[in-house]
Amino acid sequence: MDKYRNFNHQTHAAPSAGSTGAVRIENLSKQYRMGGKALNVLQDIDLSIRPGEFVSIVGPSGCGKSTLLRLIVGLDSDFTGDIRLDGKRITGTSLERGLVFQDHRLFPWMTVARNVEVALLNQKLPRERRESLITSHLELVGLAGFADAYPHQLSGGMAQRAAIARALVNEPKVLALDEPLGALDALTRVKVQAELQRIWMEAGTTMIMVTHDVDEALFLGDRVVVMSPRPGRIAQIVDVDLPHPRDRASPVLHRLKDAILAELTAEPGKGDAGLVQFPVRPRS
Amino acid sequence: MSRRFTSVLIGGVLPALLALLWEFAARRGGAASYAFTPIGQIADSFVTMLQNGMLLGDLWASLRRTLLALLIGGGSGLLLGTALGIFRPLSIGVSPLINIFRQVPILGWLPLIALWLGNGDGARLLLVSLAAFYPTVLNTQKGFDAADRKLIEAGMLYQFSRWQRVRFIALPSALPLIFTGISQALSFAWIATIGVELLFSASAGLGTEMVNAQVSARTDIIMICILCVGVMGFLLNHGLMLTRNHLLRWHRSALGEG
Repeated sequence: MDKYRNFNHQTHAAPSAGSTGAVRIENLSKQYRMGGKALNVLQDIDLSIRPGEFVSIVGPSGCGKSTLLRLIVGLDSDFTGDIRLDGKRITGTSLERGLVFQDHRLFPWMTVARNVEVALLNQKLPRERRESLITSHLELVGLAGFADAYPHQLSGGMAQRAAIARALVNEPKVLALDEPLGALDALTRVKVQAELQRIWMEAGTTMIMVTHDVDEALFLGDRVVVMSPRPGRIAQIVDVDLPHPRDRASPVLHRLKDAILAELTAEPGKGDAGLVQFPVRPRS
Repeated sequence: MSRRFTSVLIGGVLPALLALLWEFAARRGGAASYAFTPIGQIADSFVTMLQNGMLLGDLWASLRRTLLALLIGGGSGLLLGTALGIFRPLSIGVSPLINIFRQVPILGWLPLIALWLGNGDGARLLLVSLAAFYPTVLNTQKGFDAADRKLIEAGMLYQFSRWQRVRFIALPSALPLIFTGISQALSFAWIATIGVELLFSASAGLGTEMVNAQVSARTDIIMICILCVGVMGFLLNHGLMLTRNHLLRWHRSALGEG
């Protein structure tokens, strides 16, 4: 908690721990082939993310934002262009790049603690170090008392926090979050957003979060990347120049929200405006 | 608790009614009394058979045969099913053969096995093992196929090796169906044991006892054996279900059944 308090005095700077974790995406394009026809999912994405930064990505369904995260963590390596982490071109998955899915994807046959431990399986660590990592990360997400619970015994919000602990326990340089709060009810969602903000501030990890929810994107993000669909590309990048932790009632956030909503709904031509849904119950 | 008591009570109505009908037929005299032994006499024979150890000896012989076959047939089914589930190419080569052979009823193998092995204990064990083999091999293989793609992706994030994927994802995913296979195998093996004992008389066993009782027209003994087979089969299955529910606590509740 000390770190948390210290952070209050800082303003926009990245946490000192995050001296690495710079993500550089250059000229990135991805195509799907459907029945012989090439479909552009992502086109000419250029994005540079500072170490320790929190970047939110919003956009209507089909703009390729989840695909972008899958490419960053290496679950999909069929793309053109360049993704670099601290200058190194990424290949495949790595413990340096974590991902939290929309569905928590905890292993139902393992307790919460074992679920976190399994992420450390391929890190050669002494036993005590492993145990202390597990304990400290369960504490970080506020699940210290639930180490021996099975996933089905947790509420949606708790399961998602457990998933965040599992993703962070490897101390990845960058953590991608794919609509991590999308399946939660509105009230839990607001609570876990505040939790996520605190976790990010404590962990100092670079985070890239995809969301449908503009309020959420603005509340958490140092920057909000607005994407547009068919083909998926970056329409606008909005700087949110407010210190963390933030006040939801801030007029700055409200003004930015109006601007982003205008951008999202003002798709010329095709009448794509109707596709933007707020607040969204995401499709699975 | 009282709800449970009520359901036991209701469940008892039908058997009581059947027993009443049976007793009625037994007391009507004539040909019927030859076919239906009075319940009192069945109870007497039951006590006698318990006291002279005949019933327990038969029960043990049949049970032993079943469990041994479950170990042999079920065990090899489990191993082969696991291999088929993990190595795709093996499954492509072997599965068609299994799917053809499993269409042959167990008793369809009897002439061949009798020719090869005679009608001794080896032949009996082989037939019962075969009955236990098919459900385990098929369900185990299906179980390994059931591993959730989404969980496998989660494993990929943590750099799971092939072995880790099997150990931490595929095997636990397969467990519910593996248990289904084992419980089917147990039922089939128990049924096959009695069938094989009826056809290949053994030194002891409930099936053998029934054949002997038929020869000496002892309806009471036949009835006792039938009830024993039914109750024992029920208990075996129930015990396995309890084990399963305990071992798969996470699964049962995850499915919202708990």
